[in-house]
Amino acid sequence: MKYRMFFLLPCLFLFAGCESTSNIKKSVAYKGIYDEKPISILLMPPINKTTNVEAKAYFHSTLLVPLANKGYYVVPPFLSMEILKRESAYDAELFLNDPIAKFGEVFGADVAVFTIIHSWNKTYGNVKVEVEYIIKSTKSNSILFERKGTINFNTTVSGTAGAYGALFDLVLTAASTIATKYVDVARICNTYTFKDLPVGKYGVLNPLEPDELSGKKVFTANLNSQSK
Amino acid sequence: MNYLFVFSIFCLLFTSCVSKKELYFWDKYDVSSYLYLKNIDEKSTQDLITTYEAIISRQNEIRKVVPPGIYADYGFILLQTGKTEKGNLMLQKEIELYPESKIFIDRIIKMQKE
Repeated sequence: MKYRMFFLLPCLFLFAGCESTSNIKKSVAYKGIYDEKPISILLMPPINKTTNVEAKAYFHSTLLVPLANKGYYVVPPFLSMEILKRESAYDAELFLNDPIAKFGEVFGADVAVFTIIHSWNKTYGNVKVEVEYIIKSTKSNSILFERKGTINFNTTVSGTAGAYGALFDLVLTAASTIATKYVDVARICNTYTFKDLPVGKYGVLNPLEPDELSGKKVFTANLNSQSK
Repeated sequence: MNYLFVFSIFCLLFTSCVSKKELYFWDKYDVSSYLYLKNIDEKSTQDLITTYEAIISRQNEIRKVVPPGIYADYGFILLQTGKTEKGNLMLQKEIELYPESKIFIDRIIKMQKE
């Protein structure tokens, strides 16, 4: 009995750390990315279909980090936002189904990321978010990456600032602490979803990556501020 | 028995303590950029500038270089606050570090001169 327990316990921990995957290899699921090898990414302003007006900013401000950390060149978010506004192209929904070659010409972007926030519901200690990510090529106009997640985020788990450090927590005001909690929700949704994206030019290349199983295209996840 | 015990402990440590280093150091970028997006006031601008300066000066992660977009956006904020010379210098640094930014940044520099 004791032997079984010693073996079973670590196995449970190992399985708890695994995320659900599809049975499709990345080389198949993200064939367009392996074929086109995009280098630079333009962040389109998120499309907010919820009644929470803040949700757009939560997601917009947290897209750069996970995509850059995957090894992509991300067109400077504030500078590109300014130009999109000037050119009356700030409403990303207008371009979701249209050719986007112009973004390649103006921004030098190989692909554009569209984020659609379908729902954002807060209950005590929990935020349930439905969010969809579409990466579209400016060259072929094809969709190279598409995932839609229903994410239950437990906001009661402590350690909200994670990498930002405890010191930063101390200097935050009460109001901005609430804001940072929801920035954290968006950050972790983005990070979790883009974890599946093949590594870009500046990333740590893994020759075995194309043979890895991709994450599910439509997924559900239970996350908290400690999730990576 | 002892082997199993050691194996169990090893597995627990392996699953809970593996910390991956990231490509870049980001300081509190997400929060600073959110507050700037939301408020665009003096305080949030200054906070974002402080964050950019920390990111630029404290890169000790895998790549040990400034992440994409940071020099350019920092330059943009400096230009907005009237620091033209330093702002343009930052835009040039973005091109030097990330040649793929040249199309866009050159366009910005040209627009600024017009």
